[in-house]
Amino acid sequence: MYKAQRTGDLSRISCNLPDRIKRVVDRISPEMASRLEELRINAGVPLMGVFSGFDRFICEDGTFTDKPETAFRVGREEVEELFYRLCEHSVYAYQEDIARGFITIKGGFRAGICGRVVYQGQAIKGMKDISSVCIRVSRELKGCAEEIFPFIMSGSHDIWNTMVISPPRCGKTTMLRDICRIISTGSEKAGFAGLRTVIVDERSEIAACYMGIAQNDCGPRTDVLDGCRKPEGIEMALRGMSPAVIVVDELGTRQDAESVRMAWNAGARIVATAHAYDTGDLRERLGFGMLIGKGGFERCIVLGIRDGKRWVKVTDAYGNLLYRNDKAPGMHDGIFRMHGHGDEAVGEAERQAACASEA
Amino acid sequence: MGMRLSARLKDRQLALQKLKDILLFLENEMCAMGKPLNKVFEDLAKGNYGGVWTPVFHLSGGILKEQSLNAGSAWRIALKETAATLPLTLEDLDLLRDFGELLGKTDREMQQAVLNMEKEKLAAMEQKAREAAETTGRLYRNLGALMGAAAVILLI
Repeated sequence: MYKAQRTGDLSRISCNLPDRIKRVVDRISPEMASRLEELRINAGVPLMGVFSGFDRFICEDGTFTDKPETAFRVGREEVEELFYRLCEHSVYAYQEDIARGFITIKGGFRAGICGRVVYQGQAIKGMKDISSVCIRVSRELKGCAEEIFPFIMSGSHDIWNTMVISPPRCGKTTMLRDICRIISTGSEKAGFAGLRTVIVDERSEIAACYMGIAQNDCGPRTDVLDGCRKPEGIEMALRGMSPAVIVVDELGTRQDAESVRMAWNAGARIVATAHAYDTGDLRERLGFGMLIGKGGFERCIVLGIRDGKRWVKVTDAYGNLLYRNDKAPGMHDGIFRMHGHGDEAVGEAERQAACASEA
Repeated sequence: MGMRLSARLKDRQLALQKLKDILLFLENEMCAMGKPLNKVFEDLAKGNYGGVWTPVFHLSGGILKEQSLNAGSAWRIALKETAATLPLTLEDLDLLRDFGELLGKTDREMQQAVLNMEKEKLAAMEQKAREAAETTGRLYRNLGALMGAAAVILLI
């Protein structure tokens, strides 16, 4: 039995927050802080915490409520100050990220930003009048892919082309990151030697590079093309780095699918993720049919949540079940009873309908 | 005494010229390399490229990094703390107080414009300091020589 190690600490975010918000966030109980997935800071509206499948407003004393009128409200200047702090008071240094709508913070956290979009011709130049910031708490779950790894390796020196699929917020990227770490490091337990790996990290979510340094452990044989679009990144990696494996997140366009084909033709293996409920769902997408089934990805890892419980399964290219676990290792389930300070039961969460569908 | 006063005027002009050179460094690091301000200031202080301005940039970089203040506030604090080490007049310090105010708040294009504006301002200040060094400096030197000669005559 493998045990996943969870890393990621809210205190690493709170040091970026304006004083008043920091005081509130510091008061959140460690139990709740460890389960917080997002912190939504919106000018003029209550501070909100997002957990696995539900959200609650945050009160001034760090407890949670579903009544917005009793929650802590964020001021407009505070959102602006937060934005400048996240940019290290150097907006120009983050202008490409800002144009894409998010900033990667030291520690691997990502802050999505909203405001008035500024165009230059057809392209987004930047953003002004920042009105909200959504800080996504990045947590590495080292070991969460250990159990499924034997099903995606093909001998001691090769892996199957693998696709991780799930609806949003079910842990695709977390799983992908750990698979990448194992491929790059190798696994004594599984009898697998490490392989040269390149991550094409278009949205800086896998390695979460900050000033060129990966904030997450992606293994010693991993090179990262940070902020690079997938088609160009795959081509650059093939030309320059001769990788055995290329790791990409969120394939979604026909161009992405064609790039994957190109990598296969060049002899590289691909480990990728895509938003979908199951392989059938993905097969019907424009340009994606050729990636699923015979001659496509040889392994599919499907993640989901059913009745609040996370599950993971591995199938081969023909849909034959190779592995199934109704408790994805190390990941929090969607439903749990929330407790505020003083053991006050705040509520039982509802599951997101999107995640409830099982393949 | 006259020589010392004259040298101080020359140092003032050189300090302003140095800050003008530093602007080129800032322009390269910020607009071309896209490094954040605290890193640029840190590099400037580390490489000793800053000359007499090294303590100001070292302190500003530290404030930016540790106290998370904006560049304007960090610069003002650092300038106030290190003013005694700079060969500048009160008028110069007043004019330079707002130097950091617009740094870091906009995109590269606008930062370039901000730095160009500062370059023009510094060029005018340096020109004034150069003229002062030539005219007033010569006056101090001549006065110093005259006073020295007068003292020698009196002693004889």
